[in-house]
Amino acid sequence: MISRDEMLNLANLSKLYLSEDEIEDAMKEMDGMIDFANQIKEMSPNSHETPNINGLSNALRDDEVIESYPQNKILENVNGGKDGYFYIKKYN
Amino acid sequence: MSYDLVVGLETHVELLTKTKIFCGCKNSFGSEPNTNCCPICIGLPGTLPKLNREVVNFAIKAGLALNCKINLNSKMDRKNYVYPDLSKAYQISQFYTPICKNGYVELSSGKRIRIHQIHMEEDAGKLVHKSGDVYVDYNRGGVPLLEIVTEPDISSSEEAREYVEKLQMIMRYIGVSDCKMQEGSMRCDVNVSVKPEGSRVLGTRTEIKNMNSITFMTKAIDYEYKRHVAVIESGEKVVQQTLRYVESTNSTESMRSKEDAQDYRYFGDPDLVEINLDDLYIEQIRNTLPELPTNRFKRYTNKFGIPEKDALLIVKYKNVSDFFEAASAGLKNPKAVSNFIIGQIFRNIETETEREKFEILVSPKQLHELVKLIEDGKINMNLAKKTFSKMLESGKDVTDFISEDDMKGISDNEIEALCREAVSKNEAAAKDYLSGKEKAIKAILGYVMKATKGKGDALKIEKKLVEIINQ
Ligand SMILES: [Zn+2]
Repeated sequence: MISRDEMLNLANLSKLYLSEDEIEDAMKEMDGMIDFANQIKEMSPNSHETPNINGLSNALRDDEVIESYPQNKILENVNGGKDGYFYIKKYN
Repeated sequence: MSYDLVVGLETHVELLTKTKIFCGCKNSFGSEPNTNCCPICIGLPGTLPKLNREVVNFAIKAGLALNCKINLNSKMDRKNYVYPDLSKAYQISQFYTPICKNGYVELSSGKRIRIHQIHMEEDAGKLVHKSGDVYVDYNRGGVPLLEIVTEPDISSSEEAREYVEKLQMIMRYIGVSDCKMQEGSMRCDVNVSVKPEGSRVLGTRTEIKNMNSITFMTKAIDYEYKRHVAVIESGEKVVQQTLRYVESTNSTESMRSKEDAQDYRYFGDPDLVEINLDDLYIEQIRNTLPELPTNRFKRYTNKFGIPEKDALLIVKYKNVSDFFEAASAGLKNPKAVSNFIIGQIFRNIETETEREKFEILVSPKQLHELVKLIEDGKINMNLAKKTFSKMLESGKDVTDFISEDDMKGISDNEIEALCREAVSKNEAAAKDYLSGKEKAIKAILGYVMKATKGKGDALKIEKKLVEIINQ
């Protein structure tokens, strides 16, 4: 069972802000997820190792320049950004 | 009680590949913001990274040059943290199986600073803070980095300096990074702790992040050492924390608490496949390595008899060392070439950057020809030095300043005749010399040198003069 503190730490790491009544629900959901992940862990003894399912290795790329996207395209999803930058307004 | 200083360094170097680590965007410094970007390096969903082969090759080169064992099987992991400089909210790095392990850098004292590991990773974007707002430029996001991690083997700020300078030199020689600290292509995180002298138990460490100057790094280490000792002496405990060095006050301050290692929730990146190498591939890369600076240094001092101080100055800059190699090839006395470089060329190019570039008008071949004339006894050192100054200013050949006639040299008979003439014309000076005023000989010497138009060998002539006067 995940503790309240562990839940809050996880939320903080993901920059999620949970209200008091959301914390309880999130803990239950997290427990479910951990149980599920534990099933996978049983299949692979070292939890960090992703088994090489597809058997591929060395999918390497040559060091050749491919033209980048124009700046306005890159900033399209953030309303064009500001002065060529992604812009994060001061908050608090 | 006295305390030992214990330092470990994590050094990031940006690689000189043409493109980024996982996409074909240009890897270059100083472009307009967000112009070297694509959906992969700004982390848009649905994109897939593909590892740049050259990054793997550079990592192997660095590992070999730092005496590491290369892992034949390695892969990339995800390091999770949420911060605006990281578009995907994770950095692709190596945690479980770094590409290189267990190497060392040897200091001039013979002490080895062990390398724990070298791993490949992507750089984060750059944040520009303006009146509380944050502007993000992802040009640097995805630029390939090597992180070179030492064991805590460094025991003084001077050793730290020497280690970083050596590392810088080696990376530049093998061409994997330009290691410009002021442009951020080399940055150090410094772990500092202290322990009672001789104790085997390490003290609590603090980590100073992102040092981008060697001088400030040594100052920060010295400051932390004193601070740790003061904390312990006052009966308190050193708090493990991440620090920032403040140049203006030469002190450190705490940074907002960063995640613990477990908070990064490392796991193998499922988007990238394993890297499998074999010994043949590694040997092929080993064969592309140039002679390393430590080797050159040993050759210059042992074989050529160049003083250590001078040899170090030449070896330090690859361009200078390459120039020296080319100019001295086939000469009996390579030391003369190093004297010209340090005595005359370095007098005009004084900054690190200038020496690094080493853009001068004279070619190695031109200096070679000049030194050859000295070796063949055709001109003396004095005239050579004067001529070299002119060559450095103009880029012209030695033959543009000294004619064939001048270079015929002067026979011993001619010298003897000139010396006799000089003594008879400077009787007063000769008498002064005999009565003990040794400096008087210089006046007579000057007369002869003028007559030979600088071709004669001053030492030889002075000997001859003394001989004649004493007759
Ligand atoms: Zn890209």
